[in-house]
Amino acid sequence: MSDPARRPEGAAAARSGPGRVLVAVYAVFALAATARAGVQIATRFDEAPLAYVLSALAGVVYIVATVGIARSGRTSRRVAVASITVELVGVLVVGALSILDPAAFPDDTVWSRFGSGYLFIPLVLPVLGLLWLRRVSRAEAAPTA
Amino acid sequence: MVDGLTTTIEIASLAMAVWCLITTFRDRPMVVPHLVGMAVLWLLVIAQAVVSTVQMAGGERPAETATFIGYLATIVLIPPACATWGFVERTRWGPAVIAFACLILPVMMVRLQQVWDPAHV
Repeated sequence: MSDPARRPEGAAAARSGPGRVLVAVYAVFALAATARAGVQIATRFDEAPLAYVLSALAGVVYIVATVGIARSGRTSRRVAVASITVELVGVLVVGALSILDPAAFPDDTVWSRFGSGYLFIPLVLPVLGLLWLRRVSRAEAAPTA
Repeated sequence: MVDGLTTTIEIASLAMAVWCLITTFRDRPMVVPHLVGMAVLWLLVIAQAVVSTVQMAGGERPAETATFIGYLATIVLIPPACATWGFVERTRWGPAVIAFACLILPVMMVRLQQVWDPAHV
């Protein structure tokens, strides 16, 4: 937010600048997680129902977060913060469980072992997302004459 | 899948990523040559998709067909989607989007190859 004067009118700031990269990363994860869960549930749901349901849940959370960050306005921001918080809790809980009780996760999800199969991006992404949204809402709260 | 094409896509994608990262660090937006580069990369990806589809129609099957098609569809979507999304942003963060896409693409190509022929990789 070094140069608010260059930004477009209104509250579209969340998806511009670094936010644009964030939306791209979230969109790719939304697509990847949803597609993966879709294939798993359609072809071999019986093998690891818990893991596949979690994959599907992760996919939905990523979709909601993507839309939440990409859309402007306070409500969208709240939706984004809520979904990213769910994502952070999810990756921490599922990550810990998949290490403590590997038998419960016979097949991987995006969140297994804190997202190690995805270069730990699932662990870093919600932290970056929350920091970015906090920055955007602060910049909006500050009076820009 | 054609091995040579997979390698070409991976190298081209990484080259695009480096180019776009340099643009980002120089604080420049995306320009038309970036778009041309992404178009070339997209054509290579489409070629691989067409070849794979022809091979599948000819009876050659990947180890996991559904997963393969899912990955293939995602990989074909990424270059145009990210190129458009990055080009709209007229700051250094435009090329940063492309750099991310071009770093993800080789990883997905490796995964695609693994799904096509698990014994090969």
